[in-house]
Amino acid sequence: MSDQPGPPSSTSLAQCVVLDGIAGSPGYAIGRTVVVDTRRQGGARRHIPKHAADDEVDRFTRAVEFAARELREVEERTRERATRLESSILAAYLLMVEDETLRDEVERRIRIDHLCAEWALSATVEEMASQLRSGGDPYLAERSHDFEFVGDRILGALSGRASILALPGDKAPCVIVAHDLSPTETVGLTRDRVLGIVTEVGTRTSHTAILARALEIPAVVGVAGLLGRVGDGDVVAVDGVHGRIVVNPFAELMAEHEGRSQRFQAAVLARQKLRDRPIITRCGVPIELRANIELPSEAEVALSQGARGIGLYRTEFLYVDRSSPPTEDEHYETYRRVIEAVMPLPVTLRTFDIGGDKFVSSLQLPIDMNPALGLRAVRLGLARPELLLTQLRAMIRASAHGPLRVMVPMIASIGELRAVRALFERARQEVDAAGHARAPHIPLGMMVEVPSAAIMAHEFAREAEFMSIGTNDLVQYALAVDRSSPELAYLASFFDPAILRLIAGVVRAGADYQRPVTLCGAMASDQLASVLLLGLGLRELSMEASAIPAIREAIAEVTLAEAADVSREAAALVTASEVERCLLDRFAERLDID
Amino acid sequence: MTEARGTFEVRNKLGLHARAATKLVQLASRFSSEIVISRAGQSANAKSVMGVLLLCGSKGTMLDIEARGSDADQAITDIGKLIFDRFGEDE
Repeated sequence: MSDQPGPPSSTSLAQCVVLDGIAGSPGYAIGRTVVVDTRRQGGARRHIPKHAADDEVDRFTRAVEFAARELREVEERTRERATRLESSILAAYLLMVEDETLRDEVERRIRIDHLCAEWALSATVEEMASQLRSGGDPYLAERSHDFEFVGDRILGALSGRASILALPGDKAPCVIVAHDLSPTETVGLTRDRVLGIVTEVGTRTSHTAILARALEIPAVVGVAGLLGRVGDGDVVAVDGVHGRIVVNPFAELMAEHEGRSQRFQAAVLARQKLRDRPIITRCGVPIELRANIELPSEAEVALSQGARGIGLYRTEFLYVDRSSPPTEDEHYETYRRVIEAVMPLPVTLRTFDIGGDKFVSSLQLPIDMNPALGLRAVRLGLARPELLLTQLRAMIRASAHGPLRVMVPMIASIGELRAVRALFERARQEVDAAGHARAPHIPLGMMVEVPSAAIMAHEFAREAEFMSIGTNDLVQYALAVDRSSPELAYLASFFDPAILRLIAGVVRAGADYQRPVTLCGAMASDQLASVLLLGLGLRELSMEASAIPAIREAIAEVTLAEAADVSREAAALVTASEVERCLLDRFAERLDID
Repeated sequence: MTEARGTFEVRNKLGLHARAATKLVQLASRFSSEIVISRAGQSANAKSVMGVLLLCGSKGTMLDIEARGSDADQAITDIGKLIFDRFGEDE
């Protein structure tokens, strides 16, 4: 952020685009991009004559030596400043590049199948990587990229092309944009040279994200269609907190981003000490802050940020990138890991929210014209009950290991809730019949994210054992606004009075029927909004783990009486910006927000 | 030429993940013996990190280790100790 670029000269022509991805490493950055295309090159595919096998094996051996030497050089160069994590990743790569299993298998394919070295290598790597992916352990599945990476290094050596990323040395600090980055590429990166990182693929646990966090470089990963949308030299604002980038932001967006960035920087340091203190309001009322997570390994990160359990565990990743849906045992083992990691704190597991725009190849789903309104989440679960039953049985079995609740997304009608309840009962009987242990009672609740559910909150509260308000979809559906459109950003606000009214109704319904109500959208991770939510009566919020310290701070600054006051005042306002202004007037100074 | 074998349970929380597998392979490579790790009928060369990763050994997995060579006994002892010590991880 030291080098603040001006708007590009062609501002009026450059198209402003907002792209959503996954928050890989928290922080804000803005700068010109350097696009690094590290995508694999196919390599030759030809059969070789029998007598050429020895030569081909020699070529492969020399390529391995070259790739290993190259990796050792990176290790030497970075020995002093590489983190422990980077060093251990490099050590693993060095072993992999000279791996005996890999070598034997490639040699076999050259000698027996008569494949050229490139083909033998890519076929071997592909097979090993897919074997790893099908093992059912999401952490190991992610490591299949390491196999591919190592294969790429050797492939690069075979074709004689240099493979280590060299950043132009004389350039100003930049935002790196790539399909994916490997550790040998990221070790070359330092905070003074790289403002931010954006990649097209990847998850929170891919190396790019892990290393970016270790280096404290803001990063957004998994941005679909990135390379088609961003060119070399574009200005990109990276929001590593919310997992979003803005390409060629116009002046207002740029200013907004800069404001967030400064607040973030200032707040980070102040927060570190707070971690283990209880989360209470200024008047001493405890508030439960829980984390939204996606992978079992994130549970520990959540605890280290001070989360009091997992308020939303997304199970979608189990279905991605595989040829058949996961088995009951795979589900069960994954859930058990999360539950055991946070015991005795509670975990809320959400049944799958796949379908729609979340493409899952193993299910061969029809393409909806309007994915957000199509066959997804519970709708898909009821259309394909065997899928949902498998998951429900696994969740019920996992309840033997710690406190657990089961939550159903996208409920739009009471009929759906009843149908799920019936499946849940059936799953329970099947678990019992199979002789598995389980908790005596497992609460079954729902997400309130479709406006119809919020409007009928009282009727739903009668039958759902708890409710969790998902503000991201609620905003999208209630205001009919596509969240990815920058032109419509003015509409997509959780401060919209319509949204506040819907939330208030759900909280009231929960109170009337003594059902716990929580909120798990992006709104929970906004400091101002969190004050408003306390005022509306919420006592439990779930958010990205990285947001917990900031929200804890906001909560400690206000009393419930003040929060109730401001929410009453806000209830009389008619636009989102009036609500935000009202909150800012009351709390900006105290929460240190400009 | 001696032969030695042992069965050890993976005790660390993350199982045979990348860092643990790396340590195991680095240790195994110090021995001249041939060392094979098996689990449920699947076996891997203990000096191959890719092979070891493909075993997908999670916490609680039982690993059979067989060594053949002049330092076979020492290899089994040291590898067994590494696994028992959770690959030097805290949990």
